[in-house]
Amino acid sequence: MDAGRNLLPTRLKGNRWLRRSGTLIGFLIVVIIFTLNNPSTFLTLPNWLNISQQVSMLAVVAFAMTIVMVMGDFDLSVGSMASLAGILAALLFRAEQPLAVGILVALGAGLIGGLINGLLVSYVGITPFVATLGTLTIFSGAAFLFSGGETIFGRDIPAEFSGFARTGLPIGTVNERPLLFPAMTILALVVLGIIWLLLEQTTYGRRLYAIGGNAEAARLAGVRVRLLRLIAFMLTGLGAATAGLMYASRVASANPTQGAGLMLDAIAAVFLGMTLSEEGEPHVLGTLLGVLILGVLDNGLTQMQVDSYVREILIGGIIIGAVTSSSLSRRNR
Amino acid sequence: MPTLTPLLSIQHTSKTYDGTPALVDAALDLMPGEVHALMGENGAGKSTLIKILAGVVRPDRAEIRIDGQPVSIHSPKEAYDRGLRFIHQELQIVPQVSVAENLALSQPYPRWLGVLVDWRKLHQQANRALERLGISHIDPRQSMARLSVGDRMLVKIASAFANSTQAASIYVLDEPTAALNAAESQRLFAVIRELKTQGCGILYVSHRMDEVFEICNTVTVMRDGRVISTQAIQQTSRGGLIRLMTGREVSHAYPPRTQPHGQQVVLEGHGLLNGVDFQVRAGEILGIAGLAGAGQSELLKAIMGALPATVGTLSLEGQPMTPAHPADGWEKGFAFVPQERREQGLVLSRSVRENISLPHLRRLSTSGVLLDVGRETRLADDLSKQVRLKATSNRQLTRQLSGGNQQKVVFARAMAGQPRLLLLDEPTRGVDVGARFDLYTLIRQASIDGTAILLASSDLGELLGLCDRILVLRRGRGATVVKAAGLTQHDLLALCYG
Ligand SMILES: Nc1ncnc2c1ncn2[C@@H]1O[C@H](COP(=O)(O)OP(=O)(O)OP(=O)(O)O)[C@@H](O)[C@H]1O
Ligand SMILES: [Mg+2]
Repeated sequence: MDAGRNLLPTRLKGNRWLRRSGTLIGFLIVVIIFTLNNPSTFLTLPNWLNISQQVSMLAVVAFAMTIVMVMGDFDLSVGSMASLAGILAALLFRAEQPLAVGILVALGAGLIGGLINGLLVSYVGITPFVATLGTLTIFSGAAFLFSGGETIFGRDIPAEFSGFARTGLPIGTVNERPLLFPAMTILALVVLGIIWLLLEQTTYGRRLYAIGGNAEAARLAGVRVRLLRLIAFMLTGLGAATAGLMYASRVASANPTQGAGLMLDAIAAVFLGMTLSEEGEPHVLGTLLGVLILGVLDNGLTQMQVDSYVREILIGGIIIGAVTSSSLSRRNR
Repeated sequence: MPTLTPLLSIQHTSKTYDGTPALVDAALDLMPGEVHALMGENGAGKSTLIKILAGVVRPDRAEIRIDGQPVSIHSPKEAYDRGLRFIHQELQIVPQVSVAENLALSQPYPRWLGVLVDWRKLHQQANRALERLGISHIDPRQSMARLSVGDRMLVKIASAFANSTQAASIYVLDEPTAALNAAESQRLFAVIRELKTQGCGILYVSHRMDEVFEICNTVTVMRDGRVISTQAIQQTSRGGLIRLMTGREVSHAYPPRTQPHGQQVVLEGHGLLNGVDFQVRAGEILGIAGLAGAGQSELLKAIMGALPATVGTLSLEGQPMTPAHPADGWEKGFAFVPQERREQGLVLSRSVRENISLPHLRRLSTSGVLLDVGRETRLADDLSKQVRLKATSNRQLTRQLSGGNQQKVVFARAMAGQPRLLLLDEPTRGVDVGARFDLYTLIRQASIDGTAILLASSDLGELLGLCDRILVLRRGRGATVVKAAGLTQHDLLALCYG
C-alpha cells in the first residue's frame, strides 16, 4: 500500500504550504462570505460564542473520535452511546438519585461501552466498522429499552443539571444583558486540551500514531498494540458519554435518539482536519478546525435562510471537495 | 569499431525534492548486450534515476532516448509499452491476490471471448514465468501474502521477465538480489546472461561487489546525485570503486575481535523450533545460517516474544523466561532488528527521530508519560551520526529516505544504550559497502562492551567475518553449532545443505 502510494504518477505540482492549508483558507473564505452577507450579525462576539456552544457537543465527540482515528480505526457507536448516557442519567435523576450518581453512571456506561468495542476490535479481532456498527445498534436498543421509548423531561431533570448548559463566565454586557462565555464551551476546550496533551505530548499518543502508521512495526518495537487500542476505544466511549450528558443538559431532557446525528458529523470533522496534515494523519487541532467549519457553515447558512436540506448538500460537497483536493495534492511526490 | 546507438540514453536528468537535489544532471548510456552496473552510496540517487525512467517520479528535467529516439515517459504504462521492464527496490505486490495474478499485473489477463478470465491459461503463463527462473516450489494459485520475503522477490523478478505481447529490450533491476540467497541469485544471473546474448540491455543496481564483477561489463558510479564515472569493468578494482563511491578511504576488512568474549551464558535455548539448542555468552557473536526459510527469523522472533506460541524453553542468565510480547524483550534489554525494514521495522509516515526512539520511549520521557523531545533528539542525532545516516534532519519522514538509509534507521535504534542481547536479522541488507563496515564496527563494539549478539544473515562472508560460532539451521532437521575460525564460505554452505 505504501509502496503504491509512493509510486503514483506525479502530475500535480503545488506549493507545499498552500496544499496543507487549503482547508484553512477555504474556512477563511467562508467566514468572509458570511460576514459580507450578514455584516451586522455574523462576525460578532455573541454570535461566535453562540456557535461555540452549539458545536460544543459535536466537538467533544469529534475530539474523542480523533483518538481512535489516529490508529486508523473508527467508532460508529458514539452517537448511540451519547443517547444511552443521557437516558441513563435522566432515569437515575427520575429515581431521585443524587446528581453525581447520574453523571458517574453515565460516564461509566461510556467506559464500559468503549471497553466492549475495544475488546471486540483488538482481542476478538473484528474490524472496527463491523464491531462498532453492532454496538451502535445494541446501545441504541438499550436506550429505547431503558427509557421505554419515551423522552424524559420536565420535573425529572434537576435544575442544577440543565442549568449547566445555561451558565458561563460573565465577560461583559451586551444590550444590558450579561454576556457569558458558555460553560459548555469551556468544557469542550478542557477536553480539547486534555486530548491534545495526550496525543501530542505523551508516550501514549506517540505510540498510537505509530500503530496508525504501521501496527506490526510498532508491535515489534515494543508497543502493546492491543492494550493501547482497547484504552483508546474506552476513551472515545467516555467522550461520547460526556457529549450525551452535555446534550441532555442543553435540551433539559433525554430521548433515545438525540445523539444520532453526532457520529457522521464527528467523522466528517476529523476528515476535514486530516487534510491539514502532510501525511494525512488526524490531529486534534485539525479536528477543531473541522468542527468549526461544520458549525460556522450551519450558523451562517441558517442566517442566510438557506433551506436545511440545501445546507446538508453543501456541507457534504465541501467535505468531499476538501478531502479530494488534499489527497490529490498529496500525490505530488 | 563502429559506434553503436545506445539502446537507452539518459542526458541532463535532474530531480530536486523540496529544495534538496537528489539527482543532478545525470547521464548514462546503455548499449545492447550490456550489463551495466549502477553503483553509489545509500542516497546517491540510483533509485531516483530508475523511478524517473519508470515514469513513477517526475523529473525536473530529463532527456531520454530509446534507440536514438527522444521519448518522454509519464507513467509506468508508457515505460512498459516502450519495452522497459523494472524490478524496483521496494517490493510492489498485491498481497491479497494470487501469485499468478501478481505475475500478470502489467499485462492484460488472458480471456475467454474477451470477457471471462481464462484462469487455466493465466496459471500456465505463470508457471512458465516461474520455470524460467528455475522456481518450482511456488504454486501460482497461492496467495501472495503467504509467501516469504525471498519468494515474493522471486515472483517480482519473474514478473519482469515474463513473456509479454510487447517485446522488451531494456531491463532495469534495482537491488534484485538483496533478499535472495546465493543459489537464487545464480539463477537470476543465468537469465541475465541469456538476455544479454539476445541483445537486451540491463541496468543493474547492487551493493554487492562480487556480483558486479561477476556479471557486469560496465560500471557507472554516482555520488551525491551526480554521475562521476563510467568505466569498463576490467579497468576498475574493488578498492577503486569504493573510493569513487565514497570519496574516502574505507577499510573493507571485518573488525577483528581484540579480546576474548565473556564466559557468562546470557541466553540459552532448548528445543526451539523443534530441536534447536544454543547458548550465547556475554560479548559473543553467534551467527545464524541456513537456507532461505530454515527458521532464522522465527528463532529471533521467538526469543523476542513476537510469535504467538513457541515450543521449547529459554533461559536468561539462568532464569527461565517465557517472553509473551516484544515489549517484554525490549524491557529486558533486548534489541531487535527485524528482517523487513518497511513491513516490520519502520513507521514510514513518521520521522527518523520518532522511529529511532519508539522502543525507548519510556526511558526518554518524564515518569514514563510526558515526552522529553530534547533527550529524544539527542539520542536520534547521536545514533544517526554513528550509522552515517543521510537525511536532511532528524525530522525527515522515513518514507523519504533511500532504501539503505531506511535500513540504517532500523539498525540505529537497536544500538541505543547498551543492550544486553542484540538480535539482528539481516541487519545490513541494502546498506552500501562503505557504511556496511561502519555497522560492522558498531556490532563489534557492542560485543566488546559485553552485549551477547545473535546475527542471522544470508551473507556468508558477513557471518564468517564477525561471528565466534555459527548456528546452522536445517528446517525440520535440527541444527549444529560450529566454530567460525578456519571455516570457508564453501564449508558453511555445505553445512547449510548438509
Ligand atoms: N519522496 C522523497 N522526498 C524527499 N526526498 C527524497 C524522496 N525520495 C528520495 N529522496 C532523497 O533522494 C536521495 C536519493 O535517494 P535514492 O532512493 O535515489 O537513493 P539510492 O541511491 O537508491 O540509495 P540506496 O542505495 O539506499 O537505495 C536521498 O537523499 C533521499 O533522501
Ligand atoms: Mg535505492
